[in-house]
Amino acid sequence: MAILNGCEFPEDRSYFVERTQMTWVKVEGDQIRIGLTDPAQTRAGKVLHIRVKAAGTVRERGKPIATVESGKWAGPVMAPVAGTVTESNPEVEKDPSLLNTDPYGKGWIVRMTPAAPAELATLLSGESALARFKEILEKDNIRCLRCQT
Amino acid sequence: MSDATTPEASPPDNAGKKILMIMTTGPEDPDKTYAPFYTAALMAAMEIDTTMYFLMHAPELLRKGAAEKVPLKKGGNLKMFLDMALENGVKFLACAESCRDLCEIAPGDLIDGVKLVGSATMADLALEADSVVSF
Repeated sequence: MAILNGCEFPEDRSYFVERTQMTWVKVEGDQIRIGLTDPAQTRAGKVLHIRVKAAGTVRERGKPIATVESGKWAGPVMAPVAGTVTESNPEVEKDPSLLNTDPYGKGWIVRMTPAAPAELATLLSGESALARFKEILEKDNIRCLRCQT
Repeated sequence: MSDATTPEASPPDNAGKKILMIMTTGPEDPDKTYAPFYTAALMAAMEIDTTMYFLMHAPELLRKGAAEKVPLKKGGNLKMFLDMALENGVKFLACAESCRDLCEIAPGDLIDGVKLVGSATMADLALEADSVVSF
């Protein structure tokens, strides 16, 4: 587990970092699991509502798979690659604060089947991911916090 | 203990829907400025084609450096919510007549991302929109 500015970055994930998006991707067989990174949940603040696209929804890369609201931030969670939503996390829909308290675990958002697995190679991982996050954390002065419920 | 709210139903497909938000409040009433920008940002995130039309004193919020001076009760200022709306893809249109005659803002004094249009544009947009919301 790498840590930058108090933000955790598990090494078994890839990362989608574009514009305002900072999401993680975990490959699980022919599917991927997606959630918010530590800096993304910190920037959002305590999440109050999440609306997730239903299973079966086909998304292009960069199109929303969920909408997150915290009162201080409202924005989309974008599909990191093109694909089909196969499952949403019912626990996070019942209790959106899981996005803040356990972003890499119980706070996962959706699972998808990528349309073209080769597209996963466009995501950042390892040292290149950490270098990009270091740049963003410094530029936006982000230090991660985990809300406790 | 969590204060989680009732789960939201699976969202409908909003792609292609249009909302026009008419904004008439300016910096004279800061409490009325936050919700429109926050809501517009959220609507855009929901893939709704969202346009904010600023008239009367509302274009004052779009003057360079003005949003930073609008304090919010929850702390901070309006700038981060204005930026959030733009980042999410909300279109900002300002009434040219209001800018010129009421607010006395020169086009070059508006923040980047604002388009100056006439009143007829508001009529067109209102007729084209699936819903019109006024603040």
